[in-house]
Amino acid sequence: MKKYHVVVIGGGGTGAAIAYDLIKRGLHATVLDRGELTSGTTGRHHGQLHCGARYAVGDREIARECMEETNTLRKIASESLESNYGLFVALNDEDEDFAPTFIEACLESGIPAEKVPRKKALLMEPKLSHKIGTVVQVPDGTIDAWRLPLQFFAGAQKGGAVIRPFCPVTGIDIEDGRAVAVRIRDLVQQKDERIEADLIVNATGAWAPQITKFAGIDIPITPAPGTMVAVRKRLCNMVISHLHPSGDGDIIVPQRGLSIIGTTQYKTDDPDDIKVPREDVDFLYRCADEMVPEFSKQPFHAAWIAARPLAGKSESIEDGRGLSRDFVCVNHAQHDNVHGFMSVIGGKATVLRAMAEKTVDAVCQDLGVQEPCTTTETPLPSHREYYRKGAK
Amino acid sequence: MSAQERNFRILRGGGPSGLGAEFQSYSLELNEHATVLDALEWIRVEQAPDLMYRHSCHHGSCGTCGMMVNGKPKLACLTKVNDLAAGDIKLEPLLGMEHLGDLAVSPVPLMSAYPADSAYIRESEVNKDAERPAEVDRFERFENCIECGLCMAACPVEDEFQGPAVLAALNRELAKTPERRAEILHAAGRPDGVYRCERALECSRVCPTAVYPAKHIMELRKELEKESGAE
Ligand SMILES: Cc1cc2nc3c(=O)[nH]c(=O)nc-3n(C[C@H](O)[C@H](O)[C@H](O)COP(=O)(O)OP(=O)(O)OC[C@H]3O[C@@H](n4cnc5c(N)ncnc54)[C@H](O)[C@@H]3O)c2cc1C
Ligand code: SF4
Ligand code: FES
Repeated sequence: MKKYHVVVIGGGGTGAAIAYDLIKRGLHATVLDRGELTSGTTGRHHGQLHCGARYAVGDREIARECMEETNTLRKIASESLESNYGLFVALNDEDEDFAPTFIEACLESGIPAEKVPRKKALLMEPKLSHKIGTVVQVPDGTIDAWRLPLQFFAGAQKGGAVIRPFCPVTGIDIEDGRAVAVRIRDLVQQKDERIEADLIVNATGAWAPQITKFAGIDIPITPAPGTMVAVRKRLCNMVISHLHPSGDGDIIVPQRGLSIIGTTQYKTDDPDDIKVPREDVDFLYRCADEMVPEFSKQPFHAAWIAARPLAGKSESIEDGRGLSRDFVCVNHAQHDNVHGFMSVIGGKATVLRAMAEKTVDAVCQDLGVQEPCTTTETPLPSHREYYRKGAK
Repeated sequence: MSAQERNFRILRGGGPSGLGAEFQSYSLELNEHATVLDALEWIRVEQAPDLMYRHSCHHGSCGTCGMMVNGKPKLACLTKVNDLAAGDIKLEPLLGMEHLGDLAVSPVPLMSAYPADSAYIRESEVNKDAERPAEVDRFERFENCIECGLCMAACPVEDEFQGPAVLAALNRELAKTPERRAEILHAAGRPDGVYRCERALECSRVCPTAVYPAKHIMELRKELEKESGAE
C-alpha cells in the first residue's frame, strides 16, 4: 500500500490528535505550526475536562460524546488530568426550577449526574457558598492544557510523525483543482520550503480562514474571545459550576495551586488582536464570589484571553452564545471544488481525540485507505517524551 | 492609569540557522497590566511577525515562556512590565536550553534528564480529609513543578549536574513511591547528583511555583546520609 502523506496545519490539540490518529492508521503525517505548539487557543483554554453536563440540556449527543471522551482520556492520558469530579450548584429560585431538567438531560446523555445533599456538598468543598441550594455531582475534571496535547504529539512523533513548530504556512499550491503542497517559512532554519502532500488538513481553529484563503476559499468563521482569571490559592478540588443554562462566568476550575474562573465572550475580526477587557476581570470576580465567596480575596495571579472559532460571519451573529460549539469537518472538495483539502474547526479540548477520529475517517475515505481508528486503546507516552533526546 | 511607552531590546537570530545573533529594539505603548508576554505578542503582531518565542498557557502553568529578562530567568507571562526597572528591557533566550533562534529554545536538556517514569500527579493537599465522590479514591492534582527550567538557568553550578528541577522530581518520587527508594537514591547520589549542589539557593528564589528545589536537594542528601550510616 502507498504510504500517504498528510500535512496538518495547526499544532493545537486538534492537530496533535489528528497526527496521532494518522500515524496509528499507517499514514505519514507532518504537523506545522506558525509558533510553539499549542500557542493558539489550546494552551489558553479554561482547563475543564467536560463530562458533558454543561451541554446536556442543549444537545444530548454532544454531551454523550463528552462523557465518552472523558472516560477515554482517563484511560489513555491520566497524567494530564486532575480527575476529581465536579459540582453544579443552584444559586437562586430559577436555578432550582432548572435542576430537574438538568439532571434528566444528563442521565439521558449517559452522564451519572447525582443529587448530593447540601450538607455533604459542603463537606466535600468547604469553601462553597453557604447560600447554595440544590447540588448535583458530575464526573468533570481538570485538563493540563499543554501536557494533554503534548502526550498526543509524543505518541505521533514516536510513530514517525514530523512535528515542526515555528513553521508558518504561507501558501497552498493548487494544481488541477487539487491542493498538492504547502509553502512554509521555516523560522528556525530561516528558509522557505515547499512540502508536498497527498492531503492537507487545516486545523488552525480561529485562524482557519487565513489558511483557506491561500486556496481561494472563504469560510465564515468569527473569532470569539473569552477571558479567564486565576487567583493564587486552590480553593476546591472539584470543578464548581453554576447550575443554570450556560452563561458567562459560571465555572471555577481548580488547577495545581490555582483557582480559575471563566469565561466571557465577545466577537472580533482578528484572533491575534485580543486584549483582556479590564471590566471582564471585575465581572468574573463577582461571579466567582457567588459560588465561592473567598475567591476575590485571594492574591491575583493572571488574567488572559483565548479566541473560540464560531461558525458564521460576524455581521450575521446576534450573540455568539446561540451558535453551536460543536465541531465541523469541511471537505473542500464537496463545498469549494478544491480536492485534497479539509478544514476542521470548533469543538472542545476534551473531545480532541474524537474530533481527530472523525477527521481521519474522512481523510481515509478520501484517500481510499481502510484502517480503523485505534486511538482509544493504548495509554499515550508521557508529555516529556516529546522532548526526550533522540526522540525526533 | 495611562499607557506608557517602553523599549524592548530583543536578541534576534542565532540558533541552527547560522544567522548571527544581535539585539534589536522595539518600542510600544503598554498599559499598567501588561506582562512581558503581552508585549511580545503585540510586538509580533504589529512590528515583527517572524519573532520566535515560546508561549502556551499565559498564566504560569505550562512552563514554556521562560526567558532571561534583564539577565534574570523569568516567566514572560507572569512578569509585569511595570514591575521592571525603568529604562530598556533586555530579553534573551533562557540559559541552559538548546537555542532555536530569537527567544525560542528547546527544553530537550531538561526533559531528557527527568527520570523516565516519574508521575506528574500527586495527592491534593487541599481538604484532604473532606468527603469525596464514591468514585474518587483521593483528590489529586498536578505536581507544582511546571518544568520551566528557570532553576536550571539560575543555578551557578558549572560541572555536569542533573539540576534542581530533576532532583526535586526525584525527591517527589521518593515520597510517592517509597518502594523505589534504592533506585531513586542511586540516581540522586550519582556524581552529577545532589553533591554537586553548592547551596546557592538561586533555584528556590526563581521558581515561579514554589517548588523550593533546594529544599528537595537537602532532603535527598539527608536520605543518602541515612543510607551510608546504615551500611
Ligand atoms: C475562552 C475559552 C475557554 C475554553 N475552555 C475550554 C475548557 O475548559 N475545556 C475544553 O474542553 N475546551 C475549552 N475550550 C475549547 C478549546 O480551547 C478548543 O476547542 C481547542 O483548544 C481548539 O484547538 P484547535 O487545535 O482546534 O485550535 P488552536 O489551539 O487554536 O490551534 C490552531 C493552531 O494553528 C496555528 N496557526 C495559525 N495560523 C497558522 C499558519 N499560518 N501556519 C501554521 N500554523 C498556524 C496556531 O498557532 C495554533 O497553534 C475553550 C475555548 C475558549 C476560547
Ligand atoms: S522547580 Fe520551579 S523553576 Fe525549576 S523547572 Fe520546576 S517550576 Fe521551574
Ligand atoms: S505561557 Fe505558560 S508559563 Fe508562561
